[in-house]
Amino acid sequence: MMKILDWAREKSPWILHFNTGGCNGCDIELVAALTPKFDVERFGIRLQGSPRHADVLAVTGPVTMQIKDRLIRVYEQTPEPKKVVAIGACALTGAPFKDCYNVNGGIDTLFHVDAYIPGCPPKPEAIIDGIAKLISAKKEAKPVGKDK
Amino acid sequence: MGYASTIKVPFGPQHPALKEPESFIFEVEGDIVVNVTARLGYVHRGVEKAFERRTYIQNLYLAERVCGICSHAHTTCYVQAIEELLNIDPPPRAKYIRTIIAELERLHSHSLWVGVAAHEAGFDTLFMYTWRDREEVMELLEAISGNRVHYAMNTIGGVRRDMPAETFPTVKKHMDSFEKRVNEYSHIMKTEQTFLKRTTGVGILKPEDAVSTCAVGPNLRASGIKEDVRADEPYAAYGETPFQVIVHGGGDVLCRALVRIAEMTESINIIRYALDHIPDGPVRIRAPVAVPAGEAVSRVEAPRGELIHYAKSNGTIKPERYKVRAPTLANIPSLAKTLIGAHLADVPLILAGIDPCFSCMDRMVFVDQNKDKQWVWNMEELKRHAKVERN
Amino acid sequence: MEKTSEISDRLREHLKDSIVEMKNPRERRIFLRVKKEAFRETLEYVVNDLGFKHLSAITGVDLGTEIELLYHVVLNDAVVLTLGFSVPKEKSTTRTITDLVPSAVLYEREVHELLGVGFEGHPNLIPLVLPEGWPQDVYPLRKEWQLEQLRKIALEK
Repeated sequence: MMKILDWAREKSPWILHFNTGGCNGCDIELVAALTPKFDVERFGIRLQGSPRHADVLAVTGPVTMQIKDRLIRVYEQTPEPKKVVAIGACALTGAPFKDCYNVNGGIDTLFHVDAYIPGCPPKPEAIIDGIAKLISAKKEAKPVGKDK
Repeated sequence: MGYASTIKVPFGPQHPALKEPESFIFEVEGDIVVNVTARLGYVHRGVEKAFERRTYIQNLYLAERVCGICSHAHTTCYVQAIEELLNIDPPPRAKYIRTIIAELERLHSHSLWVGVAAHEAGFDTLFMYTWRDREEVMELLEAISGNRVHYAMNTIGGVRRDMPAETFPTVKKHMDSFEKRVNEYSHIMKTEQTFLKRTTGVGILKPEDAVSTCAVGPNLRASGIKEDVRADEPYAAYGETPFQVIVHGGGDVLCRALVRIAEMTESINIIRYALDHIPDGPVRIRAPVAVPAGEAVSRVEAPRGELIHYAKSNGTIKPERYKVRAPTLANIPSLAKTLIGAHLADVPLILAGIDPCFSCMDRMVFVDQNKDKQWVWNMEELKRHAKVERN
Repeated sequence: MEKTSEISDRLREHLKDSIVEMKNPRERRIFLRVKKEAFRETLEYVVNDLGFKHLSAITGVDLGTEIELLYHVVLNDAVVLTLGFSVPKEKSTTRTITDLVPSAVLYEREVHELLGVGFEGHPNLIPLVLPEGWPQDVYPLRKEWQLEQLRKIALEK
């Protein structure tokens, strides 16, 4: 708990949430994290609308072919230093849709991912925990949550 | 869904070079919508093809993940289709549990929607309240099934977990407190002037249009048509649990809200009745792995309306063909009808009014016939325009 | 169930040998397959005379040399009639039903792009769900296309 308050003091990350064609399970849990029960705003976490103001790109979904280019463009428009967090099994690997014809699969096939939050979907607590770990992790460290 | 956290992609007013697909193409004349074309695809994963590749048991997992908000509706529809092909009947206790979970799902889905509608109408406080209250249902679902989303309760032949009787008093207690909240929302929606002004007379769908466009769910019932799969062809335990089919005649966004709120009260009553009358006995029967050749049509009333699956089996452990038609797709023709003639300022609420289950609303193209102008907006930009127009 | 068998009887009487096959596997379900030439007239009879106003979905099924089109229509206190006919795969076109049932407009688009069936007279037969630039003659739900091939196509696009 103290760790979260520590990094919240040093930085309030603005998060851009991007759904790449998932079932909405992860997205609802991410939005639920905003609501009073979990209330991440008191930690300084805020959802932002524009990539240009985002510190963290939170991506859900298995990346449908329809949305792939837009995802890449949003990634490119997000200024450094940025962190990318993949939320949910689909964003990690494509999960149950991995072999589907209109699905690209995990977002780390497109660009570097800093943190992986597994779950189908991960609970709001897990999402908050993952993002907190991401922010407090050192820059050179291995991606959080993935065993290489 | 993404209303509370929409993506703002910084495109300018005109992008003829942009070859990206949009979900909706609006043709406008000044401030009025004159035509709408749907171009979905954001969430097209190719699931129907994938069904043919997996066994019937594996497909349970896939069917569930077609949608994260109504996953139990999809698995219920799925197992019913397969059970029909196998000619097996799940035990009565399983049917009651399926019903209880389905109504809990309807509760969390509808309260999610109330929050979203409140947000669209500029009521962020109500959005926060409903999503906080909704947590009560999510926690119940987690306590019963082990997961807040994708509860994996259904299996072919019944349900995978029992609901022990010791849990019933807790569920009932939560139903009592939740009911109080629902009554509050109902009161707010019927009395709060801003909400009433934004929703009354907006997006009207006449009964004959609702029928001719084959609308489903609360949208259909808000236009006075009394159809609900739970009542029309009772499945699970709905033949035994009494409930009202909620109908309102006005056909506007307000009526759609009132129907959903009242349905929440009905859901609470169904859950209470089911808990009081659930029969004893096993919760599943073993089902064969291979399914004899045949075909079946399965329908359930998902929170958003009629969900229909078509299954064709070929004697093996994998389906020959599996078709899923989610309720939102069925509501698009009626949605288009209500959008035509509407002011741009009302578009966000009309869209929200059908309780759409895809994040496709993020991107809309507008084509102005008269000025020969074309631009792209997302939801945020449209709502900002709406705010300006209104003031 | 009375209603279901009553409807089956009326269909049998009206259609006579246009019927290829009719099944009644349980109450509230009728599966009726007719000859291609008889489909339009049957649909009109079912919608206008029998009162099946609600079209739930249109399913396309690849049968090998033919594509089967199944129209799931519902009578309001719930009898689901699945009305079907087949078109040869090599020449898979049929007339649109959007003039009779406007809500078919999206379902026909979906069957068109995923199975390659043409619907003559459809107001706007553009793709519904497949991504921009998807090759024209690749119909994912046809059996000749395997998932791996389709993925390769999608990734190369």
